[in-house]
Amino acid sequence: MIIETLCFYLFAAVTLFSAFMVISSRNPVHSVLFLILAFINSAALFLLLGAEFLAMILIIVYVGAVAVLFLFVVMMLDIDFEEMRRGFLQYLPIGALIGAVLLAELLLVLGTWAVSPEAAEMAAAPTPPVEEVSNTAALGQLLYTHYVYLFQAAGMILLVAMVGAIVLTHRTRKGVKKQNIGEQVRRRRSDAVEIKKVQPGQGI
Amino acid sequence: MTPALIPSLGPAVPEILLAVAAMALLMVGVFRGNGASNLVGWLSVAALGVAAVLTLGLPGERVLTFSNMFVVDGFARFVKVMVLMSSALAIIMSMNWLDRENINRFEYPLLVLLAALGMAMMVSANDLISLYVGLELQSLSLYVLAAIRRDSAVSTEAGIKYFVLGALASGMLLYGSSLIYGFTGTTNFDALATLFGREGYSASIGLIFGIVFLAAGLAFKVSAVPFHMWTPDVYEGAPTPVTAFFAVAPKIAALALFSRIVLGPFAEMIDQWRQIIVFLAIASMVLGAVAAIVQTNIKRLMAYSSIGHVGYALVGLAAGTEEGVRGLLIYLAIYLAMNVGAFICILAMRRKDGMTEEIRDLAGLAQTRPGMAAALAIFMFSLAGIPPLAGFFGKFYVFVAAVNAGLVGLAVIGVIASVIGAYYYLRIVKIMYFDEPAAEFEAPMSRELGIVVTAAAVFTVLFVLYPSPILDSAAVAAAALVP
Amino acid sequence: MYQAIVFLPLIGAIIAGFFGRWIGDRGAQLVTCSLLVVSALLSIIAFFDVALGHGGARIELFTWFDSGDFAASWALRIDTLTAVMLVVVTGVSSLVHIYSVGYMSHDTSIPRFMSYLSLFTFAMLMLVTADNFVQLFFGWEGVGLASYLLIGFWYKKPSANAAAIKAFLVNRVGDFGFALGIFAVFVVFGSLSFDTVFANAPEFVGRNFLFLGQQVDILTTICILLFIGAMGKSAQLGLHTWLPDAMEGPTPVSALIHAATMVTAGVFMVCRCSPLFELSPTALTFVTFIGATTAFFAATVGVAQNDIKRVIAYSTCSQLGYMFFAAGVSAYGAAIFHLFTHAFFKALLFLGAGSVIHAMSDEQDMRNMGGIRKMIPFTYVMMLVGTLALTGVPFFAGFYSKDMIIESAFAAHTDIGEYAFVLGVAAAFLTAFYSWRLIFMTFHGKPRASEAVIHHVHESPAVMTVPLAILAAGAVGAGYLFYDYFVGHHYEEFWRGSLYLAGENVLEAAHHVPLWVKLLPLVMSVSGFALAWALYIKAPDIPGRLAKMHEPIYKFLLNKWYFDEIYDFLLVRPAKYLGLVLWKKGDGETIDGFGPDGVSAVVLDLSRRARKLQSGYLYHYAFAMLIGVAAIATWFMVMGG
Repeated sequence: MIIETLCFYLFAAVTLFSAFMVISSRNPVHSVLFLILAFINSAALFLLLGAEFLAMILIIVYVGAVAVLFLFVVMMLDIDFEEMRRGFLQYLPIGALIGAVLLAELLLVLGTWAVSPEAAEMAAAPTPPVEEVSNTAALGQLLYTHYVYLFQAAGMILLVAMVGAIVLTHRTRKGVKKQNIGEQVRRRRSDAVEIKKVQPGQGI
Repeated sequence: MTPALIPSLGPAVPEILLAVAAMALLMVGVFRGNGASNLVGWLSVAALGVAAVLTLGLPGERVLTFSNMFVVDGFARFVKVMVLMSSALAIIMSMNWLDRENINRFEYPLLVLLAALGMAMMVSANDLISLYVGLELQSLSLYVLAAIRRDSAVSTEAGIKYFVLGALASGMLLYGSSLIYGFTGTTNFDALATLFGREGYSASIGLIFGIVFLAAGLAFKVSAVPFHMWTPDVYEGAPTPVTAFFAVAPKIAALALFSRIVLGPFAEMIDQWRQIIVFLAIASMVLGAVAAIVQTNIKRLMAYSSIGHVGYALVGLAAGTEEGVRGLLIYLAIYLAMNVGAFICILAMRRKDGMTEEIRDLAGLAQTRPGMAAALAIFMFSLAGIPPLAGFFGKFYVFVAAVNAGLVGLAVIGVIASVIGAYYYLRIVKIMYFDEPAAEFEAPMSRELGIVVTAAAVFTVLFVLYPSPILDSAAVAAAALVP
Repeated sequence: MYQAIVFLPLIGAIIAGFFGRWIGDRGAQLVTCSLLVVSALLSIIAFFDVALGHGGARIELFTWFDSGDFAASWALRIDTLTAVMLVVVTGVSSLVHIYSVGYMSHDTSIPRFMSYLSLFTFAMLMLVTADNFVQLFFGWEGVGLASYLLIGFWYKKPSANAAAIKAFLVNRVGDFGFALGIFAVFVVFGSLSFDTVFANAPEFVGRNFLFLGQQVDILTTICILLFIGAMGKSAQLGLHTWLPDAMEGPTPVSALIHAATMVTAGVFMVCRCSPLFELSPTALTFVTFIGATTAFFAATVGVAQNDIKRVIAYSTCSQLGYMFFAAGVSAYGAAIFHLFTHAFFKALLFLGAGSVIHAMSDEQDMRNMGGIRKMIPFTYVMMLVGTLALTGVPFFAGFYSKDMIIESAFAAHTDIGEYAFVLGVAAAFLTAFYSWRLIFMTFHGKPRASEAVIHHVHESPAVMTVPLAILAAGAVGAGYLFYDYFVGHHYEEFWRGSLYLAGENVLEAAHHVPLWVKLLPLVMSVSGFALAWALYIKAPDIPGRLAKMHEPIYKFLLNKWYFDEIYDFLLVRPAKYLGLVLWKKGDGETIDGFGPDGVSAVVLDLSRRARKLQSGYLYHYAFAMLIGVAAIATWFMVMGG
């Protein structure tokens, strides 16, 4: 148990630290790398909870896809981050004030926080015991039954995202040569070749 | 698993229809190319129409499905019909326009369709998660729509602004939801209501913080002050038919969602809510009235106008009574007609060299285009709330509800704000009727739009004579929401 | 029938006014003239029926007000007094309508003119048929409005506009008194119906009320207030200044409104209210004083005027003075009789003057006329008839009525009566002098106009001369024919109580005054004629030398006793200054500054600020949202949820 607790605090601390570094490091590439670190530590936290499926998904999707994509974008775009931060100091006092107020209030909330006795009994879908059902199966059982509506709705959202991305960015470029197999197969000799009778000495 | 978990699909038939139609039409569009955009558009309109009819055919009583995440009641039906109608009108409004602006894309009606689906889901949400999912579906579609003129800098900027701020608002909403979940242990509206209804339950400060963040997220969606900042920029930047759509359907859906949350799960906590809503209402009414005065762009002006109107609608919600909800629904129905009409007129502001959006371009419209000027004047008078036009009654019912709920001060501020607001509406009328004519607009609006404008104007003018259909169904809808 | 008399002109006014564009000039003339003629014919029938027969009626049209104690209805009260007025109003009005067809033929807005004329006639009829004070007031204001519209008919002329405004404002002073009088009547009697008020009036004789610590007689107060109204409308001394200026209006208007009908409304009102006035000797004394003074004053001014219409205007003013002092010595019959005859010959004079002006190409200054009697003989004869009637030459209308008034004043045997008698006789002399001066300057002597004008002089068309002839017939015969009815043997059965007398009938006494009294006006008239002949025919250079010699007096008269200048100094300028101060400082700076302008400036300022907030920067917007959340959250934190 002690090891588990120690691990929790370790991972949690690293997560917080790297999250902070994401927004404070000067080099954007460093930020993305710290983001990846934060993801990995979060995944570790999931593992501690026994949610190995989530942990793996986090690493595969977020680290493997999203964060790497970020990295590409950051490296490809030539953004002068110094330039973007120029106004930072100007707004620092009031920003700090609002941030401090919000933080203080949230801490206060945290101080009063207690799991209300109702919370446990209200829990809509109790987790099945880990020994009986595997992590993935448990998720699946809930996702495709109890939460099927949300699952489908999330699908629609992804569809919109896809449509949107295509609408906003996809362009048919001129001069790009693409292979169209159907056209190639359908092509007949008459479409491609024309026979001309050439008079001697005159050219076409 | 047990078969009992297979949910009843009946109540969600309109939404399912919309989803299936959207996917099918996507196929049509993809395979037929952009040449099919008119076809896709009309089919989308048809789908929305059928969905509206199906919605009307749903049983009147309250039905839950999908593990109590989805609810259909009188309120949901009333609002959904409005939402679907205005979405269909938005598609009709855009069709000619898309042709002329050379952005003939079949995705446009599809995105409206998907947004309508999202809105329908919002209206029927009975769970914080389904609320969020519906909201996100709608918002995402709207972000894309705002930026659909991707070659235009303002349109893209509008899309980006809307997207970033929308993400921030969604974050707040989610944060609030998670706080609420953390302090109650449930996300289901009915469960929340039962919980708060318990004897001796007192809300902890953390829960109230949750509510604050949730309210902030929702306030962004209805563009209530101070979460309104995106509205003028996005309204101005987005293509006009999109602005017209933004100004009506999402507003209605978000306000309905707002009312459902306030009067459903949190009905017992009305005192806390009321403070927030009163603040939002006053700020919106005053800012909407004041800031619009110096605007020169008519779309920006309509943005502030919509902010102000959201304030008036929130007055009805602040009352927190059945009467207040009824007033809110009446207000929304009238608002729909006025705004659709006004935006069609704005759409007709087109010269040879493209759309114009400056108010001064309307000068002397009464001489060059008397019919359009008369219609726009009717809408402006109505938006200003001048009796006997419909807009007056919208305000009248919400103010009466507020007074009856003891919020006299709020009603008084509302009246003062509408007096100030009347200035800029009437200024447009003055410019149209008394100023020297500016250059004439291009060919008149298409026949479909002409019919819609006429219908909206007739509704606005004659509401006073035969208001009972709207009043009665709004009363039924309100009764369904407020037990 | 009576309804038709009253409302036909209104119908005409509406048709000509609102549909003039469609029916055209000719149509408007036709409609209004024919309706007026019908109305006039009906009035004559009514006159025979009511005044000479024994008819009479009170026709309730509908309830107007019914609010608590305050009730008033539209009703037509038809008695002899009304019948006489009906004949005068519709008769002169119809003739003026017809005359206008010719006179205004070159105008561009004929339907409007005809409409106004008919509207005026309607209002005047409403006034004379009134059954209560409210309806009287309605008619009173109605004629005031029509008068305003008609004086300013040529609204492009600044002087016409100024005259119209002046007429309206001066009348407002009188109407203020009149309205106060009506209020007082209501407060005292609790009713505004003539019948109720007159029946209850004797109860209030000698009663007082406290005003600023003074005991004031109720009936005297009411009567004097009402009379102030009459002074305004009838251009009596003090409130007379508008009448000469009103000559800016077209001449037919002057004939109808400012000679024959509207200006006599005050006389009519005093006679109608005779049951009240009779109960207050003080008020009657006041009426007599004002009337007599006006008669003399206006006559003196008339002597020095050069504008042909202004001479007649002052003459009108003077003759109205006669009527008032007749009423003041309780000779109501004589007052109305003079009103009746005066309507004929004064309208005749005005229309004749109009004909002259028409002939002289819109020249109004008598100094530029002269010697045109051969060129427009008909007009000359008509003017001559009018002058003979006005100056009281025997057997012409004025002889009967004016002499009756002067004799009544003598017969009253009161101090004020003698005052009126003396001034009346003096005014008779002046009247004769200025009237003949007018004739001589206009028609006799050498032509003083330019060649072109003289060449152009022509007789007016028949549409203008026929009304003149009819009026001339009236001017000749009206006195002789109706003498017995109005003031003679048939007095009692003619009036049948519509004129009230508290004491002895002064007219009875007037028939028995000494012979020198009866002859005196005639002598004065003849000597006035002689003087005018001597000065303007015999030795035309004397008037100029006289004027030079007695320049102060001449200037005094020419400038109308400096009334306008005094008013300008005492009232107009201070009022204007006060208005300016209130406008600039009070309204502009204080009320507008803090009120509409201030509020709108604040709103605009806020609006600009709000626009500035809308910076377009994404992070500003996001920040605003965060501030909003933080503010609301803090609010709950502080309020404890």
